[in-house]
Amino acid sequence: MAGLSRRGTLRSPKPPGGPRRSLRERRPGDLKTRAGFAARAWAICAKDAAEELRRRIAAVSVFFFAAAALTLVAFAVGPFGLPQEERAGLQAALLWILLFFSAATGLPRAFVREEETGTALALRKVTSATAVLAGKTLFNFFLFLAIAAVTIPAFALLLGWKVASPPALAAVLFLGGYGLSVVSTFLSALVARAGQKNVLFVVVSFPLLVPLLLSAIAATLEAAGGATPWTPLRVMLSYDGAATCGAYLLARSAWED
Amino acid sequence: MPSTTLEALGLSKSFGGPPLFSGLSFVAEKGLIAVTGRNGSGKTTLLKILAGLARASGGSVRVRRGAAELAGRELQMTLGWAGPDLAFYEDFTAIENLRFFRRAAGAASGERELVERLEAVGLAPAAGQRVGEFSTGMTQRLRIAFALLFDSPLLLLDEPLAGLDSEGRERVLGIVAGKRRAGAVVLASNDPRDFASPEQEIRLGGSL
Repeated sequence: MAGLSRRGTLRSPKPPGGPRRSLRERRPGDLKTRAGFAARAWAICAKDAAEELRRRIAAVSVFFFAAAALTLVAFAVGPFGLPQEERAGLQAALLWILLFFSAATGLPRAFVREEETGTALALRKVTSATAVLAGKTLFNFFLFLAIAAVTIPAFALLLGWKVASPPALAAVLFLGGYGLSVVSTFLSALVARAGQKNVLFVVVSFPLLVPLLLSAIAATLEAAGGATPWTPLRVMLSYDGAATCGAYLLARSAWED
Repeated sequence: MPSTTLEALGLSKSFGGPPLFSGLSFVAEKGLIAVTGRNGSGKTTLLKILAGLARASGGSVRVRRGAAELAGRELQMTLGWAGPDLAFYEDFTAIENLRFFRRAAGAASGERELVERLEAVGLAPAAGQRVGEFSTGMTQRLRIAFALLFDSPLLLLDEPLAGLDSEGRERVLGIVAGKRRAGAVVLASNDPRDFASPEQEIRLGGSL
């Protein structure tokens, strides 16, 4: 025990509030400074963000896909390539197709990478599946917002798209992005240990995300026209609530052994 | 503080074929419990089941502090585990890894305390080095630091001396000796030199 008793004790400086206990004297019950669920989820989100900033794998692939798809759409359609009477509807649909497929290249990596690198075991050992799911959902949500922040101005510029009610569009993006993030993250946990995970993810996610995407397209169309899309926003809010509850209840079964 | 006890009751595990082990029962409260057996006899699987990282096909594992049965996060913190499958974030340094795991568990993570933990396994000089650059032995030392991260009274160590140099072996054996005096250490290994007169021995692929 030489290692612990000789080396494991803090020597100096002494912290305020009395002497500090050595490693040997501390016990699990000492973790009275334990943070709550939100802090644990935030720690996981911050870790994913730090990892992404260092590797830039998801960000590069997502933004490259978004740029390539946007360029192709702009060249093929341009600001006047769509018939006037159908332009608004097609632009709303094109925007969400662009956002969905861009996000789909990055969001599923949430859990898959943990399994591929073998870090999932350590994560399972120290924290709950729900905290991991919440943290990864949060990171994916921020990633979606970053994609939207870059893609939407470029989309508006290249396709001559105008939005009469930006606050309504922001609400649509917030609810649509959150729903997309929570469902994608949960499905990522579900397929992380499966074979052919990319194919499986697309096959499983498509039917689950269709109601959200249809509502998001309808709401975007209304927001672009200047109206506040109350009905589709309510549908999206309900979808997000149901998806959150479902993911929370099934997180453990999806990710743990 | 009441003592912490690990109870395995009628554990069995199979992966579809014949069971790796069945009807395995033991109680670990203090001392060293050696888990031995040939390759593929289920040592790693047993330790993962005890750590809550794998599901048993039958039986149950209970951890009690005094009379109270532990569950959830308290249970997770009570069982320290390290095994050959344990991997770390390669882009992060050793100290960043430990800090993250403490935070993810909801525990405070002071810089000096983390350095102390690395010092205990002889990794303090490499605290700021990326784990991706670590040798096998250094990664093994970090695994031991991970197992000790929450000062758990029950330690589950799967081949803890694999890949270590003589100084590393000495350190880990020292840690095991200290921990077995304070609580229980369940140690799985193929090498009889890893066990110094264990209080119990569980032989897998044979009789208990």
